Amino acid sequence: MTEAYIERGIAFVGAIVVAITAVVQLKNEWAARGLDADVTKLLLGLMAFGCVLALLAAVNVLGVHHS
Amino acid sequence: MGAAAVQLTGHEAVAARYRDVDPVYGETRDIRLLGFVFFLIADCILFSSFIFAYVYLRTSAPTWPPFVNGHQLPWFDTSFAAMNSVVLFGSGVTMHFALENWKNLNKRKFNLWLIATIVLGIGFLLGQAHEYSIVNLTTTWQGSSMGASFFTLTGLHGFHVFVGVIYLTILGIQANRGVYTGSKYFGLTAGTLYWHFVDVIWVALFFLFYLW
Repeated sequence: MTEAYIERGIAFVGAIVVAITAVVQLKNEWAARGLDADVTKLLLGLMAFGCVLALLAAVNVLGVHHS
Repeated sequence: MGAAAVQLTGHEAVAARYRDVDPVYGETRDIRLLGFVFFLIADCILFSSFIFAYVYLRTSAPTWPPFVNGHQLPWFDTSFAAMNSVVLFGSGVTMHFALENWKNLNKRKFNLWLIATIVLGIGFLLGQAHEYSIVNLTTTWQGSSMGASFFTLTGLHGFHVFVGVIYLTILGIQANRGVYTGSKYFGLTAGTLYWHFVDVIWVALFFLFYLW
């Protein structure tokens, strides 16, 4: 088992956990009103998107030519 | 049954507490919040400038990664970066938990999640230091446009994370010294927004350097 394989495994599991948590928090935050709540919603959504990128990188869908 | 007996939870409870906030503080908070959001937008423009410079350099280069002394530079390590990215994104989630627990007046859990955020932030910085030690073997700051872009942008981001770790530490100390209350905690809100912002900037950098 190579080092890269372990790193991708950790990234894969971590990205799923963090993405789900971020989406749940986004859902909970959805009803909140105000500038801070709106900015938080935007940033949480983008963070969940980042987790999807990390997930796709972990399974070699993105960044394939880098490997 | 009187209204006082009704138990409010979550956002309802926070909204109810804010109804009791004095108007002067409410107004001050709104102005501070707007100012802080402007600061984040300004910071976003700063990063955008460097990002556009990188995109220009990359798209105008005949080959990417560029050749240096007849050898093409290697790509950056996606596996490690993906893992380190998840560490940073995870810290965004823990910071959000910290603020939510503060809003719900659970100071013990607030402290735990805040410490988790700081630890993850330091973990990310150590990961970046490890990444630099590997990248520096083949790509230096002054050796190529690839190295210059990488070290400038990730260095600027790393500096933001470093400042964020100090910022969150100070917020934690302030919170435990009673600077913030259940209805007056603008500093914690600003700290959370800053930390989320740092996370989101990394989404762009991660894509540009490791996936594109």
